[in-house]
Amino acid sequence: MITDRLLSGLVLLQVAAPAATLAAVGLPAVLGITVRERGITRIVGAGFTIALAAALAALGILAARGFTPHNVHMGTWFHVGHHEATVDLVADALSIPFVCFSTGLCGLVNAFAGKYLHREPGFTRFFILLALFGTGMNLLVLAGSIDVLFAGWECVGISSTLLIGFFHDRVAAAAAAVRAFVTYRICDAGLLAAGVVLHAATGSGDFERAISGGWPGGTCLLSPGTALVVALLLIFAALGKSGQVPFSAWLPRAMEGPTPSSAIFYGALSIHAGAYLLLRCEAILEAAPLAAWLLVAIGAGTAIHATLVGSVQTDLKGMLAYASMTQAGMILAEIGLGWRVIPLVHVISHAVLRSLQILRSPSALHDRHELAAALGGHPGPDGWSLVRVLPPAVRTAVDHIALERGYEEAVIGRLVVEPVLGALRAAAAFERRVVALLAGDVPPLRRGGDR
Amino acid sequence: MPSPADRRDDIRRHLAAAAHALPPQGPIGVFVAQNALAGFENRPFEEAVVDASRLFQAEPFLPESQYRDALAAGRIRSADLEAVLDADLALDGDGALAGGRITQRQLRLALLLHPVRLEDDAAVRWTLTESDLLDRETDSGLWPACLEAVALARPAILRARTPVRHRDLILALHPATDTDALVHPLLIRLCAAFLDQGVAGWPMPHRDRGLIAAVAEVYGDRLGPTAAWSRRLPEALRAIRGTDSVDVALAECDRLGVPHDRQGELILDSIVALRGWAGMIHQLELRPDRFPVERVPSRLADFLALRLLLDRLAVEWLAPRLGHADDPAGLWTELCDRHPPRRGPGSLARALLLCQVARLVGLRAADIRSLEENELLQLEWAIAAFDGTVRRRLFHLAYERRHRIETLDGLAVHESVASPPAAERPDLQILTCMDDRCESLRRHLEEQGPGIETFGAAGFFSVPMYFQGIDDWHATPLCPIVMRPRHTVTEEPVEGAEAQHRLRQRLRRGLGKLRGGLASGSRTLLRGGLVAAVAGPLAAVPLVARVVFPRFTSRLRRRADALARHRVPTRLLIEQHSTTPLADGTRAGFDVDEMADIVRRVLDDIGLVTRFAPLVAVIGHGSTSLNNPHESAYDCGACGGGRGGPNARVFALMANDPRVRARLAAAGLRIPDDTVFVGGMQDTCSDACEFFDTDHVPAGHRARLAALHAAIDTARTLDAHERCRRFGSAAAGIAPAEALRHVEARASDLAQVRPEYGHATNAVCIVGRRWRSRGLFLDRRAFLVSYDPDHDADGAILARTLAAVGPVGSGINLAYMFSRIDPRRYGCGTKLPHNITGLIGVMDGHASDLRTGLPWQTVEIHEPVRLLLVIDAPVERIRAAAGSVPVVKQLVDNRWVSVASWDPAGDGLSWLDGGRFVPHVPECRTLPRVKRSAEWYAGHRGNLPPAVVTAALTGARRETPTA
Repeated sequence: MITDRLLSGLVLLQVAAPAATLAAVGLPAVLGITVRERGITRIVGAGFTIALAAALAALGILAARGFTPHNVHMGTWFHVGHHEATVDLVADALSIPFVCFSTGLCGLVNAFAGKYLHREPGFTRFFILLALFGTGMNLLVLAGSIDVLFAGWECVGISSTLLIGFFHDRVAAAAAAVRAFVTYRICDAGLLAAGVVLHAATGSGDFERAISGGWPGGTCLLSPGTALVVALLLIFAALGKSGQVPFSAWLPRAMEGPTPSSAIFYGALSIHAGAYLLLRCEAILEAAPLAAWLLVAIGAGTAIHATLVGSVQTDLKGMLAYASMTQAGMILAEIGLGWRVIPLVHVISHAVLRSLQILRSPSALHDRHELAAALGGHPGPDGWSLVRVLPPAVRTAVDHIALERGYEEAVIGRLVVEPVLGALRAAAAFERRVVALLAGDVPPLRRGGDR
Repeated sequence: MPSPADRRDDIRRHLAAAAHALPPQGPIGVFVAQNALAGFENRPFEEAVVDASRLFQAEPFLPESQYRDALAAGRIRSADLEAVLDADLALDGDGALAGGRITQRQLRLALLLHPVRLEDDAAVRWTLTESDLLDRETDSGLWPACLEAVALARPAILRARTPVRHRDLILALHPATDTDALVHPLLIRLCAAFLDQGVAGWPMPHRDRGLIAAVAEVYGDRLGPTAAWSRRLPEALRAIRGTDSVDVALAECDRLGVPHDRQGELILDSIVALRGWAGMIHQLELRPDRFPVERVPSRLADFLALRLLLDRLAVEWLAPRLGHADDPAGLWTELCDRHPPRRGPGSLARALLLCQVARLVGLRAADIRSLEENELLQLEWAIAAFDGTVRRRLFHLAYERRHRIETLDGLAVHESVASPPAAERPDLQILTCMDDRCESLRRHLEEQGPGIETFGAAGFFSVPMYFQGIDDWHATPLCPIVMRPRHTVTEEPVEGAEAQHRLRQRLRRGLGKLRGGLASGSRTLLRGGLVAAVAGPLAAVPLVARVVFPRFTSRLRRRADALARHRVPTRLLIEQHSTTPLADGTRAGFDVDEMADIVRRVLDDIGLVTRFAPLVAVIGHGSTSLNNPHESAYDCGACGGGRGGPNARVFALMANDPRVRARLAAAGLRIPDDTVFVGGMQDTCSDACEFFDTDHVPAGHRARLAALHAAIDTARTLDAHERCRRFGSAAAGIAPAEALRHVEARASDLAQVRPEYGHATNAVCIVGRRWRSRGLFLDRRAFLVSYDPDHDADGAILARTLAAVGPVGSGINLAYMFSRIDPRRYGCGTKLPHNITGLIGVMDGHASDLRTGLPWQTVEIHEPVRLLLVIDAPVERIRAAAGSVPVVKQLVDNRWVSVASWDPAGDGLSWLDGGRFVPHVPECRTLPRVKRSAEWYAGHRGNLPPAVVTAALTGARRETPTA
């Protein structure tokens, strides 16, 4: 009983500590009080350190109890009839190890960025967003109900968007942020809809009501039809955040922010949020084999697409973005294949490796020089790859496809974006005409509308 | 209509002219600080910066607000403003205005000393209705008078040049529509793929045929839809296959409908619109030897042709969507006709300006009312002509004037304290690079006593060579960028150490293969998963270690490196044994005559021909930092962005060679037999210093060598201490030993974006005998070049010194200056979003123009002033020497450097003003006096004025005025 309460306290602390630092750094900024750089990094760092310590302690207690899941019920937001929206956190074999790793990484990036962003005009803003991200990530990971998960998911999304657009004075950064934001909005609709379906089916957003048993190997309590719908919607949600085809175009463009945020978001945590979501709901996926196979197909397809496109990237961060995308695709495929621990290990080890690579991407020249010195010459293009054995004409065509990023944007643009924009413009033009008609003055119909 | 051949020549001519405007920067691995406006150096400075700022939409000077802050802080004085204003009016004439009530000078001085607000009509209207700012003027009647006055004259329509590119014309009419936003992402991707030096796994096919041919191959196939605007690209590319790019450019110019007389402008504007990439292509066309790995035929004409073709396609696609005809030629005429004229300020805005000026110069309402129409117009015109650009130019001149006076005052006063060295033999002589960062090291050495003397010379020590170190895979040039070495020097393990070296080599190769395999494997599909799984957890160790314990990790690494590196003792193959050239056309090593010439030249240059100390140290410099694409920018400029250690080592070996000494003695330069030279290298980032071949120092000199080590250790610790005052992350009261550890940690910290400040704050170059400036605190702001006017009767040495120092010093100075003045257009902005591309440069984020110039983090503390070149020589010799070197003459005549003569005869200082030397009139006759530098800089972060450091003075002290 005491360990239960202790565990609950520790779980709560993992969310509360970064949230408190968010308030501690954010409020003075809102009130126009300047806090010294070192003060800011210390506050945010303390939040992550406390959260990490709590997570490690929780991991110890949990391990001692054989990883029996522990639910922390923090109350009910509202309930209407049979429906209730609960605020639940869960500590189990999935969430606690993941929090250990994600807060640890946040703490590292905090320490790194404290020096990296020294004297930068957006210093405070960066750390506010980092604290928001850390809070959101822990909320997402520890969520025991889809409602809490959604809240965390949105915190991650908005901090990601604002960090891509960190440099306010550059148009490219703003455009990339908008692109990521739009992709998130579209795909987040999937998560929201999944929540609605879950509520309708079980009367609650609680995962406990949909899945029984611990992680991994839970049993899905939903009817097969519902499970399929929920699984498809969750996959849809995961595709956007994890930069999977056909929603991958935002990912390389997201490399507009400062290097540390690129490292933690697109090398490590944000890009794997989709994988985490699907791991969390693995039992539902298990109950919907059709969706699982679709996930395998998308993941494998993305991995191939990203490998192909990544091979012609000439900038370090773009190349690393596609390398992340490749691994994220493989991880999703692994989840679809019904594996559990392998994708979790894959996520964690890939995230560590990739964030280190992005953090030290400005060293590329130095590293290349050392490598060339060691090898006694520059390493040639990748040793063996399929493209080498293709006939020249085909190679040229493959290169064209890769340089055009697999035509993903062109196809999406033509099939989705253009029709939607066209419809919206037509609607706008129609509205203007109606208004003009009502106002008694009919302008000639203009083609194309305002661009 | 000119013939096609003539027109092709025209295009080539326009292209060559346009290429001059491009940034002079080559691949970033070898970063040489150069004037961002190098192509404008044939024009006077003040004109060139303003014209360039129009072309590049950049700033010509600092923002006016920063000069006003400097005025408020006393960095500019009103006397400076009056002086530069008077000089300016001497050219323009100081006419009377407003019917003789005020003069031009009064008007301009008032506008310089007091800011005026420029508002548009709407803002003035808001001010009138919502605030009481103008109430007082309304009551005094001034405001109504001004309103009536401006009503007399119609607002001017400003005649601005109509742009020539479709993109600019379209943008003026449809502000949200930018064809460059369509074209640039594709063009950047193509240029990057073409120039890539090994980031991409697959190199671009057919790139050995040139940019446009490769693009025509890759994008000319029938593969389906690309972006909507480029749907007709494959077809267009197929049509130009095999066509010369000049012909393509010519055809595109015609299709775009731009008339012949404006095609030069079109080409210039089109090239400059993506000038980072265009500049890189141009640089690599001029110097294909600067490709770091793989040469591809880089041609600016290809870039132009491709760019014009893409521009035309974008315009053709866009035009119908904007309601224009899709014929680009017709569109051009239409857009030019419809180009909106730029309107001058409205009447309320003019009235507000007039009202403010009237108050500043003391015109009352009655005065305004009494003015005749043409007097009013003249007044308004005079106000408008003295616009922000003119004011900023004068502010800048005043800013430089104050710096000049402060520096020359310092030198003039110091003159009375300084004395030539005593006749006895010094204990130790140290020759370093002329670099401004060596100033502090030398000062801290000199503070240790008159027995230590220092000299400065260009840091390649006149040894132009390709050098291949024991761990290098190829030879790199170590000499100024304008030279091409004719000799190669190789480092080898000494006899008996070969086996050990081979073992190490194998180990390194094995580790290198593993690391390289992991790095490239982590990006591939299947291996990537494996690598991630295996290496991921391992990567966590260095990640945590480096971020959380940077200093500990660096010490650990250094120890491991030291174990690996210093085990193998090496020697340099400097002597030529065969005259057969190597594969690259150079010869291995130097012959004895060449060695003697090199040694003679350096010793003559620095005036070290008698009084040799028993030990002479020659120290080159370089800089090591991590996670820094601009690492090479901190290396030695005189070594072409390389590290000068090997040059120092080679020089010492040459100077120790008995045959060289015999030849020098035969030519009249006697180096005592007991004088030993030793080469060394200083790391300007970590303040580490090592010496080479010390095992060859004779036994009798051991004690002296130990003394050298001790002196250097003290000096580098204090040097680190002095540097730390500029670093916000080093505590203000840091102790010297702690400061050394601080800079060491900076050099090896992954997260550190300011490993050092490089040449920031550089402002002065002193060419002369060191004793005249020895003991003067110059705040690491001065290049110090040793030159003895008494040893240079005919001025030949001065001419060759200026030929080396002028371009290097002013190149560095102007690179920092422009990167500071406009960090976004001339500099490469903040480092935080930088993204290395193709191993040749950095972009901002995912796809941008290649960013050239220096990053903000390097120049943020820089004070942009032109280099003040002070020469210890009589005026006539300076004139003759500068006039005999065309590149120096151009810099001096067009005022890209300022020149002052520090006459050895003791006639005081004079500076070059408008073609003649004007005596410098000291404003201050005393200098602060401290025993040691640390007393002067302690507790200060900003720039410091000169001070006398008594510990560094030589010989008998004369009685001097002190503060």
